[in-house]
Amino acid sequence: MKLLKALVLPVALLIVWEIAMRVSGVQSDSLAAPSQIAVAFYAAMLDGTIPRRTAETLRAALTGLAIGGGSALVASIVLGLVPPVARLMQFSIEVLRPVPAVALIPVAILSLGFGYGMEISLVAFATFWPVLIYGHAAIANIEPQLLDVSRVLRLSTFGRVTKVVLPATLPRYFVAFRLATAVSLIVAVTVEIAANPLGIGYELMTASQSLHPDLMFALVLWIGLVGWGLNGALLLAQRRLFGPAAMAEIAR
Amino acid sequence: MTIASRTFWIAGSIMVTALLVWGWQLIADYGGIPPVFLPGPDRAFRALLSGFDGGELTRLTRATVERMIYGWILASLAGIVVGALIGSSRLAREYIAPMLEIVRPVPVSAFMPVVMAFLGLTGTMVLVVIAIGSIWPVLLATVHGVSSVEPRLMEVSQSLRLGRLRTLWKIALPNAQPDILAGMRIGLTVALILAVVGEMLTSENGLGWYVLQSARAYRSADLFAGVIVLGLIGLISNLALQAVERHVLRWKRR
Amino acid sequence: MPNVSPLPRTEAAGATPLIAFRGVSHVFGTRPVLQDINLTVGKSEFVCMVGPSGCGKTTMLRMVGGLQTPTVGEVTFGGKRVTGPAQEISFMFQDYSKALLPWRTAAGNVSLALEASGVPSGERVARIKDLLGKVGLANHADHFPAQLSGGMQQRVQIARCLAQEPSVLLMDEPFGALDAMTRQALQDEILRIIEASRTTVLFVTHDLEEAIYLGDRVVALYPNPGRIAQVFEVDLPKPRNQLTTRESPAFLRLRRALFDFIREGEA
Repeated sequence: MKLLKALVLPVALLIVWEIAMRVSGVQSDSLAAPSQIAVAFYAAMLDGTIPRRTAETLRAALTGLAIGGGSALVASIVLGLVPPVARLMQFSIEVLRPVPAVALIPVAILSLGFGYGMEISLVAFATFWPVLIYGHAAIANIEPQLLDVSRVLRLSTFGRVTKVVLPATLPRYFVAFRLATAVSLIVAVTVEIAANPLGIGYELMTASQSLHPDLMFALVLWIGLVGWGLNGALLLAQRRLFGPAAMAEIAR
Repeated sequence: MTIASRTFWIAGSIMVTALLVWGWQLIADYGGIPPVFLPGPDRAFRALLSGFDGGELTRLTRATVERMIYGWILASLAGIVVGALIGSSRLAREYIAPMLEIVRPVPVSAFMPVVMAFLGLTGTMVLVVIAIGSIWPVLLATVHGVSSVEPRLMEVSQSLRLGRLRTLWKIALPNAQPDILAGMRIGLTVALILAVVGEMLTSENGLGWYVLQSARAYRSADLFAGVIVLGLIGLISNLALQAVERHVLRWKRR
Repeated sequence: MPNVSPLPRTEAAGATPLIAFRGVSHVFGTRPVLQDINLTVGKSEFVCMVGPSGCGKTTMLRMVGGLQTPTVGEVTFGGKRVTGPAQEISFMFQDYSKALLPWRTAAGNVSLALEASGVPSGERVARIKDLLGKVGLANHADHFPAQLSGGMQQRVQIARCLAQEPSVLLMDEPFGALDAMTRQALQDEILRIIEASRTTVLFVTHDLEEAIYLGDRVVALYPNPGRIAQVFEVDLPKPRNQLTTRESPAFLRLRRALFDFIREGEA
């Protein structure tokens, strides 16, 4: 029932839009009827445009995520386990964090030119911060008794990290990575729209500039779908992997 | 932690930053990277100062900040009004709110080519995109805040016979304050990003255009100066909003 | 034998009742909550309602407050049926922390009732000061609820209720969540406040001693479904005193009778 109510308005709007376009018979450079958008989407899927461009964007986004998130993971563990280091790095982090990744686009262009390198670097920069901040907070908030236990058991640093720290903080890290994944996609698409000639963003800009509104809208919808799908898949994985006990941990 | 040790650590962390800047200088001077790609902090700061001295950077900063703030304020006001209307009506929540969720996963920058198709490469286009991008977090936050009032408070308003409009104004909206402020903070970040990207695309006057131009002309010192200014805008706007938030939400502290 | 009437005196002494329940029954879904309630409350009476959980005493209170409509029967105020909240009836909730606006100061919360009644802003300041003074919070006018103790928050609620200048005060276990000392202090404060204004009070509580201490009559309800089982007259002298009244033989007799009665009901 709830689902039906939710669909009423969107479906109605689509129908009105379709009828309006057909009745007015206007050939617009910026608007397209839902039916045309669907056709353009189907065509772009078939001829490989969408799969190819999606692969490009995802390759850049996920590689950047791996580099940025991965290094942030290590850095956050260091910050969390060695509080003096965290305190000493505080100022530098607060100064570097607010720099918008897009402001660095020209820097990346200047040093790396166009292509995967610059996009991956920018995604890495953007995804570094959420994982660092959330991860550090997660480690700093570990139940202190767990760390006492690791000391009583005389675990090595490596053992402490792998057997106590990581498992205790895994749920929160997962949430941080879920957020970072969304960021990676957004930054990748933004870089492609702003400057980089690859991926869905670039295809979107081309569609707009070459006056193909049907393809343009189709691509916008597709990007939304990809983002939603990625997040949904990660949410599912989160529930499966961690279950209710860990979800309570995250909520805490 | 005592005030003394806190000051010690803050001073220490500032020194670490200074060390990193010095390291940057060393790499620029001796690292073998041509200065056209990596200017040292000395050149970057000199470019920064002369840019403001000569007025160019002042002008550009003003253009970007104005664009960002106008779009953000407009969007925030609209977001609060629309969000309040949607959030306070159960009908609207059941029929309209799900649609909002559908649009949410779309990255805001993807709206730029769409709006571009209608408005071309103009300053208006950038402003419109900034507004669309920053309305989102505020709208969603307001809907959530307005619709999640403690049921007991709704009974209080019933008992006092406040009526729908006064309940919205005196109870639901104030209840949404924390959510709205958080949404506005996100909206401001989005506004800055879209302002920069918009300027890069349209070559409208502003820091976004400036840094891209500097890169194209291989003026690396100017480029870094521009990036520093953008970082400062991000930092200051965030700190300012946090201060406002702390004051407005002072009722939360025990 | 203490003052227990053979037939429960559900009718108020004196002329026209201010509040009346006539043949009220109520179901929540399929669960019967109240069964054939007949009760009147006269002007300036202090009536306490006691009974175990599930006896519907809070539901009865909410009906008078216009927050609930009975499925059968009618609740009247001043002779007319209750259709919704009224200006002259103020309701005081048990969970004070959720019933105060956390973003307004104590003064702001009291002001809410004045704003609702349409009192012009010029007048409000003086009246808020007076009301907060009455509940002993004159020095805390600018504090937010988060900065006030439980007892103080409840006093703010009392002040807000009084701001409506009500003829009827409905109180739903108002002191239940407070510690014993605060509770006693507030009991006396309520008695003092309404003595001057002669407000009618309907007071729901779990605490049998509190009911006897405060009330002119104590209505004892049995649960599942809620029904009036017995009404006790409280013939103790006023003003009441926490020490002397509670030690008086009359009090102890009443207490015994009430305790026994409730225990029988639970059996």
